[in-house]
Amino acid sequence: MAARAAAWAGRSLTRLEVGLQVIDLIGFGAKGWGGVLLLAALMTVLVTLAAMAVGAVLGALVAAAKLHPNALLRVLGEGYTTVFRGIPELLVIYLFFYGGSALVSSVGGLFGAEGFISMPAFLVGALAVGVVSGAYQAEVYRGAFQAVSRSELEAAKAIGMPLMLRFRRIIAPQILRFALPGIGGVWQISLKDSALISVTGLVELMRASRVAAASTGQFVLFFMTGCALYLVLTGISNLVLSRAELRVGRTFRRS
Amino acid sequence: MSVDIAFIGDTLVQLLHALPITLLLFAASVAVGTLLALLVVWLRVCDVAALRHLARGYIFLFRGSPLLIQMFLLYYGLSQFPEVRQSPFWPVLREPLSCAVIALALCTAGYMAEIFRGGLLAVPPQQIEAGRAAGMSGWLLARRIIIPIALRSCLPAYSTEIILMMKATSLASLVTVYEVSGVAQRIIAETYRTLEVFLCAALIYLVLNFLIVRALAWLERRLSPRHPVLACPTTKKYALSVPRG
Amino acid sequence: MTTGNDPVLQVKHIRKSFGNLEVLKGISLEAHEGDVVSILGASGSGKSTFLRCINLLEVPDAGEIRVAGEQVAFKRGRHHLQVPADRRQVDRMRPELGMVFQSFGLWSHMTVLQNVIEGPLHVQKRPRAECIDEAEALLEKVGMADKRNHYPAFLSGGQQQRVAIARTLAMRPRVILFDEPTSALDPELVGEVLKVMRSLAEEGRTMLVVTHEMGFARNVSNRVVFMHQGVIEAQGTPQEMFNEQHSERFSRFILSHA
Repeated sequence: MAARAAAWAGRSLTRLEVGLQVIDLIGFGAKGWGGVLLLAALMTVLVTLAAMAVGAVLGALVAAAKLHPNALLRVLGEGYTTVFRGIPELLVIYLFFYGGSALVSSVGGLFGAEGFISMPAFLVGALAVGVVSGAYQAEVYRGAFQAVSRSELEAAKAIGMPLMLRFRRIIAPQILRFALPGIGGVWQISLKDSALISVTGLVELMRASRVAAASTGQFVLFFMTGCALYLVLTGISNLVLSRAELRVGRTFRRS
Repeated sequence: MSVDIAFIGDTLVQLLHALPITLLLFAASVAVGTLLALLVVWLRVCDVAALRHLARGYIFLFRGSPLLIQMFLLYYGLSQFPEVRQSPFWPVLREPLSCAVIALALCTAGYMAEIFRGGLLAVPPQQIEAGRAAGMSGWLLARRIIIPIALRSCLPAYSTEIILMMKATSLASLVTVYEVSGVAQRIIAETYRTLEVFLCAALIYLVLNFLIVRALAWLERRLSPRHPVLACPTTKKYALSVPRG
Repeated sequence: MTTGNDPVLQVKHIRKSFGNLEVLKGISLEAHEGDVVSILGASGSGKSTFLRCINLLEVPDAGEIRVAGEQVAFKRGRHHLQVPADRRQVDRMRPELGMVFQSFGLWSHMTVLQNVIEGPLHVQKRPRAECIDEAEALLEKVGMADKRNHYPAFLSGGQQQRVAIARTLAMRPRVILFDEPTSALDPELVGEVLKVMRSLAEEGRTMLVVTHEMGFARNVSNRVVFMHQGVIEAQGTPQEMFNEQHSERFSRFILSHA
């Protein structure tokens, strides 16, 4: 009886020890990786924001091209979206990483620098994920534009509103309202795609988790922590986006 | 800059050698993932609240985190435990290919379950009621009315997911599976001829996507209601073979 | 089997509430074979709910339902709400009470013919050749035989509703329940559906029709029931209700809905 109690106490103590070790590892102490992971999560958010910005510009241009009367522009736009939605993001990252570095190296060579200069990982990541998200964003903007009410536009024309004013006061706000859900979706996709940027060496959340896991041997612990942090990021994004959707849709009735 | 046909040809051959692996990853993960998704969505809509929450948690987990971290978790995580290494499944689990397939399947099941659920929610309630009024219920109602309509509703979203899966197979290269992207990366790292290799690999994926899109479009056409005079006749189970008197 | 004078349908003291709102406050109705009963009333009077309680698409909180002598069994279920005791009994009885819906409810993934044979084939398990033959005859009767291979999406509202009627008839019901069958139709299409309903009445079918079509109520039905706020305010023959004006409220109702 006493022996059983002792054995149980021994096991609980071991579990407690393991638990403390875990907290130690993911915590913020000397051995703790908590700070690193949180910073890496911040990096993930930053690189995704940069990518979305790149994608927004590209997406708007491509959407305009696809809606243009000029057939060549439409074909080019169509080609862009087909290619960058159809090939793996990893290939695009390799293109910018290896290709970009080669470009930078040869440009550097022109200026007398020797050897291989690699392109900054953040730039590679933002461009690669940005180019891909641009293809998705283009589709969102195109759909949003086509959803803008023709009759409202015509009413604006009828009262003599010039083009720029029409764009600013009628078209753009409506495009934003219709595009918001879609862009929210692209944000979530890009957030997860950013994990692939880890192959360039950028210390975002995926890479940090991997480094922590490899150096401590605690693969499950750190990958699960990284996973949990990603879930926190996507969860917060969800909340923010739903709120935003509600606010933007405030003045419109559900049709 | 001259176009090195020989290099491109050689690269294509090397990439095509890896194509069967890509196709295997794709087919296996889509098949397993679809079956798993059917189970998850069944749990998601069943009467037991605990099972519903379990399914919701599964879907949240696998849709909220990147596939890559799930794959690493599986591949590296499993080898961490001696219990797993000594289990009878180990010869399968230690293979990067099987790990990749399992990770892909688990991830896509989360997305597909939501897609199937969307299909179920889109079934017009009037048609379900008409089924009930005719005396159908339970499995008969599901089999004859709810599931066929739900499937047709979710086909476009399901097709999109299938295409995403084809792209997702490239992640297997990061756990040492030599499929097309993995071979492409190896060639680039060796020869530094990024653009040519990229174009070859991109071409292969684009052709694959094109074929998949066509196949799915054909399926969608087959399943959707068509005008009988304008479309070609199809063989139906209830073919009117009764002779007109 | 009912003997000559037993009612085909007997409904007693049906009560139904949705939350705090009591929609049906104790309704009783009887229908004998061949009766064509029109149920009229303002929106919110509970007429659709009443009809849907009969074939248990809504479950009444209290009351009895008897179809061809067989009583529907109830029991106390979750949260002390009344539920049907035997699901199989419900599945068996529903085809006896065929229902035609306001929104037709044709199955979109099946052709017209497939819609009509679905019930007989899969629910009543009759042989396929027999189902097809009967379906063809019924489609002929409602005037939709040439559209047998069309899908519902390609038909007009009136055409869809006629197919829906054929679909209901294919199950060989004892009573046919019509829930505002023409309310969702464009005015030009209402006539073709009413024509079919009239021919069914002339055949001697037992029909319960919730409707706003005064012409039908007056000329085709042999009994008119007026519902108001969850009770039967007045009932009688069309002559009594329309010409002799037994109920003042009903007269006001007719005037506002003419």
